[in-house]
Amino acid sequence: MTAKDNGGASKKMLLPAELPDDTGDLHFVPAPCQVACPVGTDAPSYIGFIWEGKFAEAFEAITATNPFSSICGRVCDAPCEPACRRVQADGAVQIRNLKRFVMDEVGNTLDPPPIPVTQKETIAVVGSGPAGLVAAHDLSTAGYEVHVYEMTDRLGGLMIWGIPAFRLPPGIIVEDIERLTKRCPGLEIHLNTALGDDITLEELKDRHDAVVLAIGSWWGKTMGIPGDDDSRVIDGVQFLRDVNDGARPEMPETVVVVGGGDVAMDACRVAKRLPGCKDVKVIYRRGPDEIPARAIELEGAIKEGIEFIYHTQQVSLATKGNHLSLTCIKTESGEPDEDGRRSPVNVPGSEHEIECGMVIASIGQQGICAHLDEKGMMLSDRVRTDWDTMLTDDPKVFACGDGAFGGSTIVMAMHHGQRVAYYVKAFLEGHKNPMPYRQPYRTRRVPLAQDLEWEKLPVQEPDFHGLGEKPIEFPEIEDTYPWTEARDEAARCYRCDAETGTADYSVRHREDIFAMARTNPLDEKAHAAMLARRLEPRSNPFPEDRLATLDDLTFLPANLTRLVIDPYREACRIDTELGAGRFTMTAPFLATGFDDAPDQVRRAVAEGLRTGGCPYVGVRPIAEDVPWLQLVLPGQIAPSADATAQIHALGHQFRPVEATRLTDDQLLGLSVSSPDVLEETIPFALENGFDMLLLDGSRGLGTPWAELSGEPDLTILRDAVTILRRLRREEEIDLVFFGGVRSGTDTAKLIAMGSMAVILGVILGLAVGGEINANHEMQFAADRSDAERAEAVANILTASAQEASMMARCTGKTNLHNVEPEDLRAISKATAEATGIPLAGTL
Amino acid sequence: MVQIDLAEVPVRQANELIREYGAQGEDIDIVNPDARHHIGVGLTDPVTVRLHGSAGYFCAGLTDAARFEVESNVGWGLGDNMYTGSVVVGGNASAIAGVAIRGADIVIRGNMGSRAGQVMKAGTLLCGGNANFMAGYLMYGGRIVILGDSGERVGEDMAGGEIYVGGKIQSLGSDAKMGDSEGAEIDDIREFLDRYEISYKGDFQKIVNEGKKLHYKTSEQQMRSIPFVAFSGKSDYWNPKIQEDIHIKSQIGRYRVRGYGGARELPHLSDITFAREIANLNEISDPVSKVEMHTLIGGKHGAQPLDLTMPVMIAPMSYGALSRSTKQAVGMASSLAGIAENTGEGGMSDAQRGAAKQLIFQMLGGRLGWNIHDMKRANGLEIYISQGAKPGFGGQLMAKKVTKELAEIRGIPAGIDLRSPSRHPDILGGDDLLIKVEEMREATGYKLPVSVKLGAGRIRDDIKIAFKDGFDFVELDGMQGSTGAGGAEVMEYVGIPTISAIMDALDGLAEIDALGDIQIILMGGLRDGVDAVKSLCLGADAVAFGNATIVAGGCISCMQCHVGQCVTGIATQDPEHEKRYRPEIEAHNIHRFLESVRWQIAALTHALGYDNVKSLNRDDLVALTPEAAAITRLPYRPDLRERPSLVEAV
Repeated sequence: MTAKDNGGASKKMLLPAELPDDTGDLHFVPAPCQVACPVGTDAPSYIGFIWEGKFAEAFEAITATNPFSSICGRVCDAPCEPACRRVQADGAVQIRNLKRFVMDEVGNTLDPPPIPVTQKETIAVVGSGPAGLVAAHDLSTAGYEVHVYEMTDRLGGLMIWGIPAFRLPPGIIVEDIERLTKRCPGLEIHLNTALGDDITLEELKDRHDAVVLAIGSWWGKTMGIPGDDDSRVIDGVQFLRDVNDGARPEMPETVVVVGGGDVAMDACRVAKRLPGCKDVKVIYRRGPDEIPARAIELEGAIKEGIEFIYHTQQVSLATKGNHLSLTCIKTESGEPDEDGRRSPVNVPGSEHEIECGMVIASIGQQGICAHLDEKGMMLSDRVRTDWDTMLTDDPKVFACGDGAFGGSTIVMAMHHGQRVAYYVKAFLEGHKNPMPYRQPYRTRRVPLAQDLEWEKLPVQEPDFHGLGEKPIEFPEIEDTYPWTEARDEAARCYRCDAETGTADYSVRHREDIFAMARTNPLDEKAHAAMLARRLEPRSNPFPEDRLATLDDLTFLPANLTRLVIDPYREACRIDTELGAGRFTMTAPFLATGFDDAPDQVRRAVAEGLRTGGCPYVGVRPIAEDVPWLQLVLPGQIAPSADATAQIHALGHQFRPVEATRLTDDQLLGLSVSSPDVLEETIPFALENGFDMLLLDGSRGLGTPWAELSGEPDLTILRDAVTILRRLRREEEIDLVFFGGVRSGTDTAKLIAMGSMAVILGVILGLAVGGEINANHEMQFAADRSDAERAEAVANILTASAQEASMMARCTGKTNLHNVEPEDLRAISKATAEATGIPLAGTL
Repeated sequence: MVQIDLAEVPVRQANELIREYGAQGEDIDIVNPDARHHIGVGLTDPVTVRLHGSAGYFCAGLTDAARFEVESNVGWGLGDNMYTGSVVVGGNASAIAGVAIRGADIVIRGNMGSRAGQVMKAGTLLCGGNANFMAGYLMYGGRIVILGDSGERVGEDMAGGEIYVGGKIQSLGSDAKMGDSEGAEIDDIREFLDRYEISYKGDFQKIVNEGKKLHYKTSEQQMRSIPFVAFSGKSDYWNPKIQEDIHIKSQIGRYRVRGYGGARELPHLSDITFAREIANLNEISDPVSKVEMHTLIGGKHGAQPLDLTMPVMIAPMSYGALSRSTKQAVGMASSLAGIAENTGEGGMSDAQRGAAKQLIFQMLGGRLGWNIHDMKRANGLEIYISQGAKPGFGGQLMAKKVTKELAEIRGIPAGIDLRSPSRHPDILGGDDLLIKVEEMREATGYKLPVSVKLGAGRIRDDIKIAFKDGFDFVELDGMQGSTGAGGAEVMEYVGIPTISAIMDALDGLAEIDALGDIQIILMGGLRDGVDAVKSLCLGADAVAFGNATIVAGGCISCMQCHVGQCVTGIATQDPEHEKRYRPEIEAHNIHRFLESVRWQIAALTHALGYDNVKSLNRDDLVALTPEAAAITRLPYRPDLRERPSLVEAV
């Protein structure tokens, strides 16, 4: 096994089975908003659900990858929104506000089901911010017992200590955390337990099988200018922490906030709300285009009357009378630095002073941990961590979040949490070199919203209250959408997820066509580039290992040289006889596979077969009044006189069978599971008066759901027909095919190739709600009524009969049994070989 | 009053004379008609034409406003597609009398043959004697009055209209039932009888549609399609797509329907490449001026050919499947690019006619929207036999799209799940087809090229008929073609790939020594100038783009075309949805796409060392897959898959 294989296996195990990951499908292009979301939220689906008013479904889509959905609905950085394709037109879809709407509607009432502990290993997570708790969540939902060690008296980290209540009311945080703890019964919380003071890393490593450090960036950086040790200089994180702990300090009249990030935004807005404060000035060393604060926070601050002073760099701080005097210098934009932003360059002689009563320094954060520092595991401001493995210097200790990679956003920290969970899990499962982590993009395939106004509807802005009537109480700054606005906003979504690929019009082909349609005909360079791209060949769709399959046969329609039989309305006979008229059926279908199914399923299937006039093939009958073709396995139940037929299963080896009709019109049959035994079996069957030969393309007739092993063997039918033709006795025995029949189309193909009838197995299992599990078994659940199951069987029989006769009619036949190999063409060489049907266009 | 003696004047000349006299308002006497075919076709003036004797096929066909009187008997297709006017036949009429009429009075004093009034939309068809089997077959509207016996299976699969029978009803057809007639209806019939001086005092029994087949009984839950391509041959045999199909069919109890086109991978032009190294494309400057691309299509039999600035046309797509605005945009783009557009099924709108400088008018088995006036203003006529996406099947338009306006242009009841007939009433074989082509030529004075659209099936044989029946060109559509709605299984599993189709066509023609004697327009999954050049190299005379133009015009490929609620306003008839489509803007997008195709064709032709697209040939190609090599018989050169970049970094 290669490293890649190994990692692939572990990655697969991380995905919930019910939602296939579409990223492997080259033709599925996740919507840009979903790609932009660090936790891969299926935004288009929940937006589609909102439009339909399906809040529970929207909730599922939102919370599937995000345990802090309620929090994110309020304060997520929402990188999805700048990625929205509508941003260039009349503004991005307000994805965050839509999430907020759903979470306000149902976030308190819906809880995902709890996931029990199933693994023996336990994991320690140090820190309960978004990174730590998401790691804990993901590991818990994977079945591990997870212990969270938190130094403060509550969970949430910077979500609870760093964000003021007017943006994120405490109740919202509680809502998410309660949902998380309900979902993860194996989560053990240890509050007031600081790493180093209350517990050591060694202890954690002893107690647990892996440790995740999510210590956060808890401490503000200092400005490092003369005078910044003044007591009226405080760091922004500490300031917010105090306020979130309930403090409402009296403020000086003028407050200066230094910095342009999210902490600066929160700090300035908090200061503005506190008693005594009149003016808040934010100084930032670059220009308004470069300020890192999220646009909506910046706009909110401006609306609340906060003054922004750009291109200004703090130089020194001194006391002047009762005030502080902050000496600043003007800057201008210099060369772009590493991250592409233009560095500020001081303008000589532009020094000036800003007077204030307090300076809040919000210029960055750092993680500090003396205990880890002693062990040499820290860089200057965070835990030394390898992004590719999320490992620290200690092979059992992982790290994530701001404390490992520096200050970022909540949603990015959550991504870290998911990422570290993946690597921890791979470590615990013993994968040495797991495949690189990537957030899967799942789609729920929600139909497109059909709102007629979708193009015209403007961005729906929630009502903004700013400081509110009593600023000190920190009322929420804006409202949640009412339903009508949410629906309008949802209708605005372009639903980029809903583009569907086909082979000839894959997303890439379509984008090329779009490019062709939007390029100036005179732009030859662009045309040359497009043509070069179009000239790149596609990969071979029919590589050598592609198996022969019924899919690769097509019907030759009647046109001019043959009269088509109108498939919409003209009659086509499908009634079927076995054993030269001994037994007749209304359609060429037999059923099998329910011998060992739950009784309830058997009863319902029997009812459906009765309605559909379809006999049953099995070791035991499915019901008294459903004709039974008895499968006689060696050494098992003897032939029964109640059976319509006795079919003696030879399997993969020929042996002579003595069979006697127990009633005059009982059919005698043999079944073979390998083409290798046909040369012996067919003459034997002909000489001994057998009526039918069951060709088992599944290779495992008699074992449960043998068809699930894969493509049926079509050569068995080809060879049987060849032998019968050689013997010139084609009409003397009826061939019945079993294996991989999925539709009426498959049926018609098999009949064209020489079958008289086909046996349906898995198709019926799926029709009655069976699910195929990882072990290639069919499982049934109590999720539908007997009547629904019976109807499903009757329906699939009807639909299959329609399809089969439709194929016959379009080849110009009024009887399905007149379809012949000459009505087929193969489209792959493998299939042409396995069936003897010529490749289309070569004959 | 003028007289034309058909013993002296050939029919072709006689028909021109009839139209000339008609335009002058002269009534016409025809002597010695001798049961010749197509007498009077194409006449659109309110004059009287008296035939002293018997007429052959399609007497009075494709006419409007004229009055025909035939002393003796007529052959099949009497009054084919008549708009208004009348035909009175003194004797008997053969099969499909009154086929596809849209408002005329057709009176047969004697008996009439089978399938009378097939696909008629309006007007009255009266038979004084007995009818043969299946009168009113697939009729959409109007009334049939049979004073004698009905014949077997009367009203078979009628969708609308009424049939009144005075004599015995031998048997009712499928989806027909006995109805109650009101006094006013009977009074109206008696008034009609009086007008044509027919004495009948007996009662009538009325037959109407039973309504069992007009709609799919169960609707399919609308959901996004799983891209089929991801699963075919590459993933589990019981893959999610298969499971979804089974689940849905087990709920709805019928086959699935969807729009767009086949989704899975098939052998394609993509599996072929150029034998020669294509030079650095950046060095090719203004190739369009260096390569002759001008192409005439359809002039073989003396008609005015389509005059294309490059060997490209728009594939037939219907107004119905597509919105009026979309057809308008495609038409405008075709004019800007100097190529031809095609109406597809369902008639020609004024907007479409105005937008497209060259427009082919297509005729299908249901004769929906087909009429003499639009034939005359077309630049080419086309008989649809089948289409690549669903060969063997008539057009399919779900009820949501069959709006009042659309129903009117097609002449059908609004709001039915329209499933057009799969066969033409009057084309049951190559010989009928020959006569049908002749009728169309007669009616339009041999001025227009007549083509045939063939979905890819038994092409090797079909093309021989097309050639022998005298078509000017063939539109050959492989199974990779798209459609507005079709059976999901049919789209994937009926027909043969486009590259197989062209090979079969060329082989068939070679077998009768007719290679190069009929032009072939190849379509079905062609997307750009590269596909076009490869098609030309293989032997096509031109290519047609359908879905590619729709994608260029903003289609998001959601595969829900059949639903009728297209979010881009393309595949919809809902005016509110259609508003989303801006034809002027999309026309320019489609035009730029076509210009890009032109540049690509020119650049590749130039790079291959030619100055004329007609020089492109098979030696320019090699196959990259064993399948493509086997099908095309080109050299198999998988080593040419990897080639250096064709454009140096700019």
